[in-house]
Amino acid sequence: MADVRNRPGLLTGRLASTDTGVTLAAYAVSLIAALALSAVLVSATGGSAGAVLDALLDGSLRSPGAWGLTLTTAAPLLLVATGTIVATRAGLVNIGQEGQVLIGAAFSGYAAVRVGGPGWVVVSATLLFGAVGGGAWAGIAAGLRAWRKVPEVLTTLLLTFVSFPLLTYGLSQSWLLADRDTERQNQLNTGEIIPGDARLPDLRLFGNAIDSGFLVAAGLAAILTLAMARTLLGTRVDMLGFNPRAAQRFGVAAGPLSAAVLVGSGATAGMAGAVLLSGGAAGDRLVFGFAGNFGWDGLLVALLARNRILVALPVALVFATLRTGSSFLAATGVDRKVTDVVQALLVLALLVPPALLFVRDRRRALRSTGPSTAPSTNPTPEAA
Amino acid sequence: MVNAASAAGATDAGTGPAAVSVRGLTKRYGDVVACSAVDLELRRGEIHGVLGENGAGKSTLMKVLIGLVQPDAGTIHVDGEQVRVDSPARAGALGIGMVHQHFSLVDELRVWENVVLGERERLDPKHARDLVATIGERYGLAVDPDTRVGDLTAGLRQRVEIIKCLRRDPSIVIFDEPTSVLTPQESEQLFAVLRVAVEREGKAVALVSHKLDEIRRATDTVTILRRGAVVDHGPTDRFDQQSLAQAMVGRAVSLRGDDAAALGVTDAVEDEARHAHERSGASEAAVVLRIEGAVLDRYGHRVLDGVDLEVRAGEIVGVAGVEGNGQVELADVLSSLVALDAGTVVVDGETVPTGRAGAMGAARVGMIPEDRHDAGCVLDMSVAENLALGRVGVGSALRRIDRGSDEAAAIDLIERFEIRCSGPDAPFHSLSGGNQQRVVLARELSGDPKVLVAAQPTRGLDVGAIEFMGAQLRATADAGVGILLISSELEEILHLADRILVMHAGRIVGAMAIEDADVERIGLMMGGVVDAPPPRPRPTGTGEERNG
Repeated sequence: MADVRNRPGLLTGRLASTDTGVTLAAYAVSLIAALALSAVLVSATGGSAGAVLDALLDGSLRSPGAWGLTLTTAAPLLLVATGTIVATRAGLVNIGQEGQVLIGAAFSGYAAVRVGGPGWVVVSATLLFGAVGGGAWAGIAAGLRAWRKVPEVLTTLLLTFVSFPLLTYGLSQSWLLADRDTERQNQLNTGEIIPGDARLPDLRLFGNAIDSGFLVAAGLAAILTLAMARTLLGTRVDMLGFNPRAAQRFGVAAGPLSAAVLVGSGATAGMAGAVLLSGGAAGDRLVFGFAGNFGWDGLLVALLARNRILVALPVALVFATLRTGSSFLAATGVDRKVTDVVQALLVLALLVPPALLFVRDRRRALRSTGPSTAPSTNPTPEAA
Repeated sequence: MVNAASAAGATDAGTGPAAVSVRGLTKRYGDVVACSAVDLELRRGEIHGVLGENGAGKSTLMKVLIGLVQPDAGTIHVDGEQVRVDSPARAGALGIGMVHQHFSLVDELRVWENVVLGERERLDPKHARDLVATIGERYGLAVDPDTRVGDLTAGLRQRVEIIKCLRRDPSIVIFDEPTSVLTPQESEQLFAVLRVAVEREGKAVALVSHKLDEIRRATDTVTILRRGAVVDHGPTDRFDQQSLAQAMVGRAVSLRGDDAAALGVTDAVEDEARHAHERSGASEAAVVLRIEGAVLDRYGHRVLDGVDLEVRAGEIVGVAGVEGNGQVELADVLSSLVALDAGTVVVDGETVPTGRAGAMGAARVGMIPEDRHDAGCVLDMSVAENLALGRVGVGSALRRIDRGSDEAAAIDLIERFEIRCSGPDAPFHSLSGGNQQRVVLARELSGDPKVLVAAQPTRGLDVGAIEFMGAQLRATADAGVGILLISSELEEILHLADRILVMHAGRIVGAMAIEDADVERIGLMMGGVVDAPPPRPRPTGTGEERNG
């Protein structure tokens, strides 16, 4: 049993499998199956698969300014995923990103309309407040974990459901988030419009407006990738995730490090909320349901990237493509909700192969640990 | 050749009907052949020894008989009829029972409850208590049916395990390394029970062991396995120690020193320990490890109950004792895994805070853990990373890792400790058990320790690896490191230690210099009979004197 015990599970582990041929084939088969199933679904609801694909590509890439919007949409997804990946590698299960995004957005919304000064000061304050808000929200879970050993998987999730009414309350109070301009129409329970100079500036490239939030996300992803690969911090985080008792023995105290990582992952989610608000991917003001599943989707991105920050970038782009592309679906007569189904199928398609390979590797490991001293898992031989 | 010999043995024998007859049994795990065309014949009225090193295939063979493992080839006959043993339940129906090496008892339940646990019939406490008493009487396995199993000693727990096995009245009983949890005296009692089972009850008994002495003392016939194949078999008295050892290891062995310790030849080791002992001379050296009044409670039990001990530079102090008497917790404390409830640990004059992450490592206490997968390694990291674990917890988290120097250091250690792996980048989990142990040893020794704690350092290793470990420990002590050797293998302690401490119920109950080593007395202490005839009485009698 030795080699199976004390190894990370499906979600946190890296694949032991070295046979890339089988791995790639498994991914190809399951992706094709998912796309075929999606096509069948579209046809069944009275649309044409070709037209839907066309519309998706138009909406996300081909129409004027579309890919700029896709990159803008990818930014918060990437931010959420980056923090989640670091937390998962430390053995933590943070699944409250939706709430952390929302609280981050609320904090940044407050800063955007209350902090005075030149634009860059306001924008920096917005991002900082977002990070502080998300971090503080995750900090509640971190504190409960450190103080009372309450599993963070419960607290982060449940805190998400606390964050919804909390935002609603904030939006009803003019000393908090509610629009102070009582003259305007439909200002009930909405936040103030973020003024232009408090917004993240856009980069203009080939007629596309790319929100600089994307640069923030990509930059943070790059920094954390380097930190995880090249510094002791990365080794400590991995060690904590792989074997917390060994970490304790070799001087990596689980308490402070996991609390810091959990707060840090909340802070990145909160920053995603700030980018969402001041980057314009989700409207120009706080409203109920503002986070718009960006937290959940970011969690999925992290899940699919299998704990590698660099892989999260393309996955976030695919998710963003589906989001922006779906806005063009109306013309095809297919409900835009179909992209949710397509997205779900893609997620499943990308999760099934690692799950199968994981089960296979595990079976092999179990089978080969029969004799107590036999060399247990020699680099796995080809194919089952 | 082997087949021909055993076939001949099967036809002429005539000492009794073959209860179990295994022919040509083969079992592979991936590329590893655990059993290769193994023949085995168990007869009623006979104790049959199955002798082999760790990894020789003994356990696999027995697991096949009990239905836990399905063979790739070969047949099993029970009382002349070919059978398929596809589950433990089927094995039970065929009258095959097994007493496992590790207990499968529920600590919180009483003895009689454990004995009937898993039975389908209606629960009848009176009947169950009677059952315990009857079986106890028949075999000489007396145990109080109403005691909580958690309160029993290891020896008594094993009795419960045996009663549980015998209550179904199996005609074939397998004992898998039964003495590993017993004191020497308890082992003798167990062998007497086995004798009763074969002679009075006409059962067939298989005794699985890697210890020569046990096989010679307790069995009638023996089958010797090496690397999954039967190398010899026959009546036990046909073999002497030398020929048994040679068959088991596959080369001439000296039956002295390392070999004797590894093969469990107690007399030779004890003899050597008493005479020709000039290892010590460390009695004047500085104390490098001092534990004072160590108390630890876990799950409401006092697992360390005031442990006091000292280790001087350059000496090996052996802690003998039956497993489960606080050794694991003592090692955990010295690995910074738990904090003491009371007491202190002083390393080289400095008090080390217990339970603080990495504090013992920083004080240069090395640890070869009993279960290296618990806290001794990170399976999903590379060999080089595992060799560098000692440096991970030190310094700022933002410091850059110098992969180049880590790798160079790893290559050096891989060569020096003869670690077989595909290179410093090989994932740790791809290494065999023996090589994983070498990585751990290499890391702990390269950290320039002042104290080295070795907890059951040779468990599960073969004779060659055991000798390597022994030589390393001795060389380390000679280099001035104080070594605390925690082991339940008495031979290992007699062979390596300069001084012996005996641990029982979370306390050190006895101490003796190696020259005064006496297996009989150590055995009694291990069983909790504190200081039978002490050479130097401990200064505890002041209160009584005053009263008198």
